[in-house]
Amino acid sequence: MDPLIFILRILIFPGILFLLFLAFIFEWVDRKAYARFQNRIGPLYAGPSGILQPLADFIKLMAKEDITPKYVDSIFFNNIPILAVVIPLFASLYIPLDGSPILIPFEGDIVLLLTLMTIYTIFVFIAGWASTNRFSIVGATRAILQFLAYEIPMFISAASVVMYVGSTSVTIISQNQLIPLALLQPIGFIVFITALQAELERIPFDIPEAESEIVAGWLTEYCGPKLAFLRLAEDLKLVFGSALATALFLGGGSGPILPPIVWFILKMLFIVLLSSYIRSLFARLRIDQMVSGCWRILIPLSILQFVLSRFLGVGFRWL
Amino acid sequence: MAMIREVFKHLFKRPVTVKYPFERTPTAERYRGKHIFYIDRCVGCGLCARECPAMAIELISSDKTINGRRPIFYLDRCIFCMQCERICPRAAIHLTQFYELASHDRKLLVHSEEKVSS
Amino acid sequence: MSYYTIPIGPQHPAIKEAFQFNFVLDGEVIVDVKPRFGFVHRGIEKAMELRTWVQGIFLAERICGICNVPHTTCYCLAVEKVYGIDVPERAKYLRIIINELNRIHSHLLWIGVLGMELGFHTVFMYVWRDRERVMDLVEMISGNRVTPSMNCIGGVVYDITPEMEPIIKRNLDYLEERTKYYKKVLMEDPSLKARTEGVGVLSKDKALDLCAVGPTARASDVKSDVRFDDPYTLYDEIDFNMVTYSTCDVWGRAMVRVDETIESIKAIRHALEKMRPGPINVKVKRIPPIGEATARVEAPRGELLHYVKSDGKEVPYRAKMRTPTLANIPALCEMLKGHYIADIPAIVASIDPCYCCTERLMFTDIGNGKSWIWSYDELRRYSLKYYGLGV
Repeated sequence: MDPLIFILRILIFPGILFLLFLAFIFEWVDRKAYARFQNRIGPLYAGPSGILQPLADFIKLMAKEDITPKYVDSIFFNNIPILAVVIPLFASLYIPLDGSPILIPFEGDIVLLLTLMTIYTIFVFIAGWASTNRFSIVGATRAILQFLAYEIPMFISAASVVMYVGSTSVTIISQNQLIPLALLQPIGFIVFITALQAELERIPFDIPEAESEIVAGWLTEYCGPKLAFLRLAEDLKLVFGSALATALFLGGGSGPILPPIVWFILKMLFIVLLSSYIRSLFARLRIDQMVSGCWRILIPLSILQFVLSRFLGVGFRWL
Repeated sequence: MAMIREVFKHLFKRPVTVKYPFERTPTAERYRGKHIFYIDRCVGCGLCARECPAMAIELISSDKTINGRRPIFYLDRCIFCMQCERICPRAAIHLTQFYELASHDRKLLVHSEEKVSS
Repeated sequence: MSYYTIPIGPQHPAIKEAFQFNFVLDGEVIVDVKPRFGFVHRGIEKAMELRTWVQGIFLAERICGICNVPHTTCYCLAVEKVYGIDVPERAKYLRIIINELNRIHSHLLWIGVLGMELGFHTVFMYVWRDRERVMDLVEMISGNRVTPSMNCIGGVVYDITPEMEPIIKRNLDYLEERTKYYKKVLMEDPSLKARTEGVGVLSKDKALDLCAVGPTARASDVKSDVRFDDPYTLYDEIDFNMVTYSTCDVWGRAMVRVDETIESIKAIRHALEKMRPGPINVKVKRIPPIGEATARVEAPRGELLHYVKSDGKEVPYRAKMRTPTLANIPALCEMLKGHYIADIPAIVASIDPCYCCTERLMFTDIGNGKSWIWSYDELRRYSLKYYGLGV
């Protein structure tokens, strides 16, 4: 491919700028939907119907004073926000937003994407630990405990998709779904969405950042531009998570009439709205309830789905 | 889980937020707001200043009343309890429904307007 | 075994007012709690001694923003006992109506706060939206949404006109339907039940031993409610029930409050029917006779006590208040032991704390900078000596 087009694709569309744009739009959609579920208005004044509110929040935080407390581990403390933004951005480049991904796909890139998410959680722990604040340390340890619980069902439900389609490349999985796998593998879809909610640290699983208990968890000591980047990283994780769920379960960009990118974004919006709906329905679970619930309910369900897909979908190759 | 249907239905309902200050909910008839003071009814007895629980009424000299005094109201100290209206023997003080009294300057909250009852 | 101390407060998202708990932790499990308060001491008891009897009503109203009506009712009852007068019957029913409206608004506020502490913001938004109806009713009757200032010494100052009654009844029907829905949510929602069942357990013996009051005690199957034990202002003529649950946990306290809201709605309807036209207050002299009196009412949080003493002047000689949150704090410290950090907001919210009401008497010797508190035995000995009742 022409190197210039390649670089433009990485930087602008559907690359970094487009992903940042999507991050702000999805945060707006999430906040508006969450507010409407609660009979409120949501963002209203920044731009038409509040659409510029996430950007306004980002700019406001960037303009604040950048404070590094005295006793923190400054190498980790100062650099984690940048790494936290880079990981979802890099991972999203492997997902075929407009039919083909930006970076060259290869067999096994689903493992790469899920591992990148694991590394993100390690960074969350390091951020909380480096803050040397009592509340941050509690938040960091809770993040690791939660990670032990949701990571396995997520991997196993992704593996059942791989087992059904017969390929470990996200591109191939998303292009080979005549019927979306959410309908063929409903148990796996529900397990994946639940584990996604835990990975994105949203209610009912926002335990590492529980606002009413430990102030702000692992984010407590961050302020100003570093906090702006961490919040942007959360939004980018939402974009990446919904993109991965769409590619794996909802059939990627396939659909009649409209171009693939439009279908992809519509499906991602569906996942985001589903996530906001779940967010407004539940109370926050306690960490031991979450871990025991995952091990007692989600993991057996995902293993069941894996077994079913092995015996019902065996031999379906993508050719 | 128990609220699944109810929460979903709210997606299609109008939000209950009142877009103040572009929309306002009407206050009740008995709402206790800013005072209105009728100078021609006042006799300068000073009962209002004595009764005020928040010490928000001060008597200043005036030549329009029999006793040579009239009250002024410090709205930043007032608790809008209506004792001044109740105790006034000549019904010279009345609390209206106006409540938008926020200000940047405390000196602007000294209420010394006089009205003539018609 | 090394323990770890975390201070929660005086500034914390979980605690609405300035209060400090020092938790001694073993990992995530709470081993001990040391409360420390006095951050919101405003000198109200001293300020009462500088204001006249009528001005004291407004000061008593501002002790607490949520339970202001019981404070004024209790103060007026105590002062009326000193005067030795009885208020007219219609005034008693009006006092019941405004007290029960205040109880509904306080309990609905609490349900929302419980939802927010547990991260369930949807319940918070819905319940506070319905609470606006109660505030509008109070505004219609008395002129202010939060501090109605309806009591005066000798009765009440605002009356309910016949035009207001259908509006009140319509709003009460709406509130009853919504409260029954929230009761259903509390009984069926799995995440709420997981966070509140078995959490913050206070057994019946401990509740009686530590003198818990209000819904905190009634959820541990202790049948104590001032409206039934010691009826004031004609509560014995109103037809409603005392609500107790025997689950002894946060869920039980939530259910007690929800059921009490429904009972309050019934009580208001019954009082509206039974009210007959008549005067709503009696005139009293400016200066009361010499004497002292105590009155207790059932505030939404528990039993509230006011004591006034008059020595024939136009200001009180002494006024003392004992608020229900102060009585529930030892029970709270007992409830927290053995639970996780994650349960702290739920348990602390379950006693419905109102720290601005909480005060304590502490002796300080300015000369040598020592401060101490009296124990129960020392207090008892001092009171026997003061009243000349023997050693």
